[in-house]
Amino acid sequence: MEEKPPPGLRPPLQNSSVPRDFEPDPRDIDKIRTWQQQRIEKKLRGEYESAVLHLSEVINSNLTTPSQISSVRIEGAHHTRPSFLKFLIDRLIPPPSAENDLESALHAARHIADALQRTDIFAAVDAKLERATAVLAAKHDVDLVFTTRERGRFMMKTATELGNNEGSASILAQVRNVFGGAETFTANFSHGTTTKMAFNATLTAPLTSNLNTYGEMHLFGHERDLSSFASCKEGVRGAKALVTRAPSRGMHEFAYEAVLRHIGGLKDEASLSIREAAGQTVKSSVSHTFQLDNRDDRLFPTRGFYLKTAHEIAGFGGDAAFMKSETHAQMSRPLVPGVSVSLAARSGLLWGLNGRPTLFSDRFQLGGPSSIRSFRANSMGPRDNFYVAAADSLGGEMYWSAGLSVISNVPRKPEWPIKTHAWVNAGRLDNVDKSRSLQDNVAACLSKPSVSAGVGLIYNFDPVRVEVNFGLPLIASKSDGSRRGFQVGIGLEFL
Amino acid sequence: MEIPPAIAHVFAKFPLHTFPPIKPLSGEHPDVPTLWIQPPPSDSSRLSADVECLKWQAYLALRGLSKVALRWNISPEGAMGHLPNLHLANGQLLPAKLIPTWVDETLEEPERPLEGYKDQAALDESRAWVSLLEGDVHAALLMAQPSPSYLMSLVTFPQVPFRPLESIVLPPPPPLSGLASLIRPYGMRIDTEHIESKYREAISAIADRLGTDKWFLGSTDATPLDALIFAYLHSVLHTGNHTIRIEVTRRVNLVAWELRVRGLVSVAFTRR
Repeated sequence: MEEKPPPGLRPPLQNSSVPRDFEPDPRDIDKIRTWQQQRIEKKLRGEYESAVLHLSEVINSNLTTPSQISSVRIEGAHHTRPSFLKFLIDRLIPPPSAENDLESALHAARHIADALQRTDIFAAVDAKLERATAVLAAKHDVDLVFTTRERGRFMMKTATELGNNEGSASILAQVRNVFGGAETFTANFSHGTTTKMAFNATLTAPLTSNLNTYGEMHLFGHERDLSSFASCKEGVRGAKALVTRAPSRGMHEFAYEAVLRHIGGLKDEASLSIREAAGQTVKSSVSHTFQLDNRDDRLFPTRGFYLKTAHEIAGFGGDAAFMKSETHAQMSRPLVPGVSVSLAARSGLLWGLNGRPTLFSDRFQLGGPSSIRSFRANSMGPRDNFYVAAADSLGGEMYWSAGLSVISNVPRKPEWPIKTHAWVNAGRLDNVDKSRSLQDNVAACLSKPSVSAGVGLIYNFDPVRVEVNFGLPLIASKSDGSRRGFQVGIGLEFL
Repeated sequence: MEIPPAIAHVFAKFPLHTFPPIKPLSGEHPDVPTLWIQPPPSDSSRLSADVECLKWQAYLALRGLSKVALRWNISPEGAMGHLPNLHLANGQLLPAKLIPTWVDETLEEPERPLEGYKDQAALDESRAWVSLLEGDVHAALLMAQPSPSYLMSLVTFPQVPFRPLESIVLPPPPPLSGLASLIRPYGMRIDTEHIESKYREAISAIADRLGTDKWFLGSTDATPLDALIFAYLHSVLHTGNHTIRIEVTRRVNLVAWELRVRGLVSVAFTRR
């Protein structure tokens, strides 16, 4: 019998790679390391995909298994009230029924995890299905277990700014989940040399378990320098309670506001009308605001529609008694690739009630780079001392404005955040003559528009939009403060 | 930077069409000279509750002006300087310090020798009385006014008085926090007894000096000092502080004099 040769001896750590793995030259250690890393990742990914496939097969084949949710446990929610969590998830758990199966349990788990994340309390939410531990639970019943990690509750930020001959210091504090029910308290206070003092404290809390409706309480105060158009300063202190509701389309806001306004700090050359408006007034009002925005971009819309309507009734105590209604609308459409057209319109009516005159703080102002371009900011409508440089814009009770803009990319540079546009703006701010009908007032207001036109550059300086325009007023009222030539505008909303 | 003339020439053509100006609803000029004052204590009165305004009301009336309209719906913040202001029919608004000049021009009277006082000694003496009234009496009057509650002071916007108490009292009152305190000085420590004592002495001296004269310091006609004394006496008589008021009410000559002058001052004004 022929003796077989013994197998050859192979020392350890032999090269086991297969040529089809396209391994690099073993002498290039960096390439070898990268190749190994990719190989491990590929293997892990394969294992993961295999496990997911296996899991989904298990789940899919058991989706119709009758299964009740025995209990829901949320772990790690140390600062959140159990009653709030119950309020949040009760409606998401299907009631006990013979039709409940694993699929309904999985859907419930997904909805609960989503609701927990939308409270903004938790930094992480992991969901698990466990076999039910209750004594009376059936064989296939499950417990939903959510392992959560809460976000930090306290945040404080201070800032000090010096420059342009002014200095200011501000402090911002935020407390999350204040009372264990996803309430957020935010307080902001700033003190400076120009803006003397501003504060705002807000408490927000969810009102409904679907987290679509929130209640808010505001305490606020600030002082604004209006001397650029009205030779005075305005101090405001007030409180506001509001309910915001954001269903699938649009956002509603119902609010009550009590505000103390103070017109003071008059310049020596202040007009008689501003002197008559000086002093303290109180406004107590209820309001409703509706907002719908489906534009593709808030600052540079090329497609979509924006609508905002606001109605306010004042006169529940205080000095102000009026009905105020305001509408903003904007529509954008692409014309050709890289060029879009935007049409915007705004209107407002302020109607004094109980025979009381409307007050300076409540009246509309019009004009400026983010309003009707080529007119100075808030320099349209009724003005006192308009024949001298120190004219005071007193505001009006009725206005309309419209703007048509054609916006295009910079030629051959569509990726740049800067665009060019050509625009035509028109509008008028006037007082309501109560001796005439409302139709006559509206007709008179529409028949005497101030019109301007021009071209310019717009820059997306998120979160604000910056414009540099060259424009000229074509038609104006004698009392309007026009601005010929270049004008720079910074703002959130433009005509 | 100046705009080149050629561009300025082009710009001047715009706007191409102009509509008439949009007139404001407010800011109309009065038909007659109108004095802006702080409101009277009641609708039936035409005399301001503020002593500074009342001084000028009395001044105008005792100089012989009549048919001056009053307006008290202007807030003190809206005044030029401080109330009162005089709003003329031509639209001009005069601060209080220009009122004597306007009165001189309106009355077209020759300048009164010694400002209406009987002699140089009376003129000199009047300065001392002015100082007494605007110091001791004014301080007592300010002290008698109720101060707003702490809660209201947090909510409302503070109104700085034209002449705050700390600027009148001599020596200036020390702060509440104490001189050696580590915290920043705040408030003021008012010696009420001292102010009341000086006020009592001042009223006593005024009553004695007036006696049964028609006008103070024996003048034949009313002088600016009479306007000042009337303003303070009237304000004291209408203050809610009993301690301050009784010092005047117990002096018959002062009460009778104030009543007589009140009639003269009230008829000079009409409500706008």
